Amino acid sequence: MLEIVLTREDANTEYALLAEWLVEDRAAVAAGQPVCVVETTKATVEVESPGAGTIVQLYGEDVEVELGKTIAYVAESADELAAIDAKAEEKPAPKAAAGDRKATRKAAELAELHGIDLSTVEKRGFITERDVEELIVAQKAAAVPAAGPALAGVSTSGVSLPEAFELDETVGAVDPAFLESLDHDAFRALTSDEKVGALRGAGAQIGEGVDLGEGSLVVAPRVVIEDGVRLGPRATVVCEEVVAIGELSQFGADLELRCRRAYLGAGIWGGRSVRIGGGGHRDPWATLTIGDLAFVGDEAFVNVCRPVLIGREVFLTMRSLIVTHNVGHSVLEGFENRFAPVVLEDRSQVGLGAVLYAGARVGAEGIVASNSYVVGEIPAGSFAIGVPAKVTGSSSHKLSEARRVDLARRFVDDLHELLALRGHEVSAIEDDGFEIEGTRVAFVESYRGGVDPPAVVLALDVRGDVAEGVAVLDLLGRRVHGSGGVVLDSVREFCRKRGIKLEPGPWSYPGGLI
Amino acid sequence: MSTAAPRRGVQVLNETLHAIFAERDDVVLFGEDVLDPYGGAFKVTQGLSDAYPDRVLTTPISEASLFGVAAGMALRGQRPILEIMFGDFIALGLDQVVNGISKFREMYDDQVTVPLVVRAPMGGRRGYGPTHSQSLEKLLLGIPNICVVAASECHDVGALLTAAVDDERPVFFIENKLLYGRTIRRPEDGHIGELAVRESGDPYPVLTFSATGFTEGSATVVTYGGMLPVVLDAVTELVLEHEIFCEVVALSQLVPMELDVVLESVARTGALVTAEEGTLTGGFGAEIAARVQEAAWSDLRAPVQRVAARDGIIPSARPLEDDMLPSVDDVVKAIAALDGVRS
Repeated sequence: MLEIVLTREDANTEYALLAEWLVEDRAAVAAGQPVCVVETTKATVEVESPGAGTIVQLYGEDVEVELGKTIAYVAESADELAAIDAKAEEKPAPKAAAGDRKATRKAAELAELHGIDLSTVEKRGFITERDVEELIVAQKAAAVPAAGPALAGVSTSGVSLPEAFELDETVGAVDPAFLESLDHDAFRALTSDEKVGALRGAGAQIGEGVDLGEGSLVVAPRVVIEDGVRLGPRATVVCEEVVAIGELSQFGADLELRCRRAYLGAGIWGGRSVRIGGGGHRDPWATLTIGDLAFVGDEAFVNVCRPVLIGREVFLTMRSLIVTHNVGHSVLEGFENRFAPVVLEDRSQVGLGAVLYAGARVGAEGIVASNSYVVGEIPAGSFAIGVPAKVTGSSSHKLSEARRVDLARRFVDDLHELLALRGHEVSAIEDDGFEIEGTRVAFVESYRGGVDPPAVVLALDVRGDVAEGVAVLDLLGRRVHGSGGVVLDSVREFCRKRGIKLEPGPWSYPGGLI
Repeated sequence: MSTAAPRRGVQVLNETLHAIFAERDDVVLFGEDVLDPYGGAFKVTQGLSDAYPDRVLTTPISEASLFGVAAGMALRGQRPILEIMFGDFIALGLDQVVNGISKFREMYDDQVTVPLVVRAPMGGRRGYGPTHSQSLEKLLLGIPNICVVAASECHDVGALLTAAVDDERPVFFIENKLLYGRTIRRPEDGHIGELAVRESGDPYPVLTFSATGFTEGSATVVTYGGMLPVVLDAVTELVLEHEIFCEVVALSQLVPMELDVVLESVARTGALVTAEEGTLTGGFGAEIAARVQEAAWSDLRAPVQRVAARDGIIPSARPLEDDMLPSVDDVVKAIAALDGVRS
């Protein structure tokens, strides 16, 4: 690639007039061919092309150009031309020079912490920390009466709240006399069935197959626990107003859940020693919501003195930490005292040991890398890393259709290998499928029937009805059609481990071939 | 003169000269290499000799005699504009100024005036070396009965030049070389960028800038000409990075020195920094510091700080030149060092 640069002809001038182009933009030019006329301070000169190729002009006509600037490229091949175009497209918007910045560093940092978009501020002059403080006060004043203390004005945009959040306030109300007379140690000593019976007797709504593990305690003025929920052993759930947990959600040993209101969705998987509560957990704003199918890793700690909203299918992995307030010295001596909610929008992910500081918000499908420290907002779909966390890219990349098909087709190979290594008898792979326990497992790009039962089919698209005896996993539509036994369950578990969660759900793997 | 499209300093000066020549028949311009097609070393006179061949004269390299010719023309009722190609060479003509031009009116009991304009490009940051980069305004500050006007990129440069030509006094019109290439930024709705601006005084206005709309300020920085953009960058940096708010006063009339606006600003801020591109000793800042401490001692909470070029010669090598001349960082440090600026 060749460049045409305006050279300095005269020590006293900084600019020259690009008077006229003698060739069209993107015309073929020959080496030595005059391509434009430039008026310098001393003369009018023709500038010649340094070589043969396609000219790409960077300026129009009759414009002043700073000497030393490149005014055109000459691409010597189609590849070079494409590279020039790509470079032009990639070129980010020019970074705001100091002269274009309006907000002071203090103002920008405070706004970031509170998720305030400074571009919406209409003010002539600089935006200072004081302006942002006034804005925060105004926003609070405007938000509180509308939202009430449960969400304290926190935007639920991007967050799928669990169904339990909408429950009528009379559902599961527990007799106050029962709570008053309850001996916590004695309750812990009961069997799971005895605990469920006692709570139901006092008015709690508890579904079937609920397991309140050995040494566990559940106390709240309203208790709603749906089918198949498993807590403990040694779980402690003490809420000032309500605890509601959706079907098939489970937490491992030593759960501690203390807050004013806990609304947990269905199909949540919680690890061991999860701790929810901490300073201010009885505050009026101490609300926790966790969406369906969220994951809460071992030893995660969630401080809830202000609302903590965790969306659907969020991954809050091991030892990650959410704090909604800091501990500080006197505000009157200029120390910061911060109380602010934390929001993880749907399908966002928080890596091992990451910290979300009061006011943090991770946008939908955003990813925070392990050990990062999040202050302020991480935009939806972005990948952030560091202390403090900075966005470095996107949380996912674009797949071509061919690549997606290729990945899905490979599931068959991987599943086949896994089953064989587990010691199961499997047939050789033929036509993107194999047989196990008399059932064919196969991949088709688009299911339109034509697979003989019994079969479990992985497909990217499903058209029409699914034949009797055939189960189809619609991998992009994220839905299971038809029913099946242990083979279907095993294939579904295999898909779950690739992040593919299927409806109908929630679903828990009952065990099987893998 | 204001136009909608952004204009660079050289364009405004050139257009103004054309307008002055069209307006007044008594104006003549002369200097070295000012004729077309060259149009002067900095192109300020471009097109003028083609339009007015009898009134634009090219001269030998002989500044001492040029000042004398200008004086004679002015005494005889013309309005000469003398272009000194590089302001460094005004020194060759200073005897004419000190012992003649500045004195004739009083010596001849107001029977004559000497209405001439000496246009002098000053300033460095272009790598022109020791004898083509200086800011020698301070040599003129102590000469009674002349007027020294310095244009900045935020002033109405055309109006300043027109006023200088109309002035009955001898006027030195200082053009910082960087002004030619920079875009003129005039106040709009009382602001330039994010800074609130007030303009006062006639015919050579004072601009006052505030980062807070004149509600608070930690210091006043007084400057002129080519140092104004450097000072504005410094006060902007202090706002953005530290929330330290200053006022800036940009004079266009250096002599006779009128400091009312500076004193008003200092009464609000309580501290003063001076900033000039010329060398430190015996300069613009020294004179202002002396006058402000006399007039407003009780308003000052800290000693006046001066920012200026080091007392030395200006090297040709750009990094060494940058080291010699006052920078944004020098201004920031001078302000930050004042008592009571960091709360």
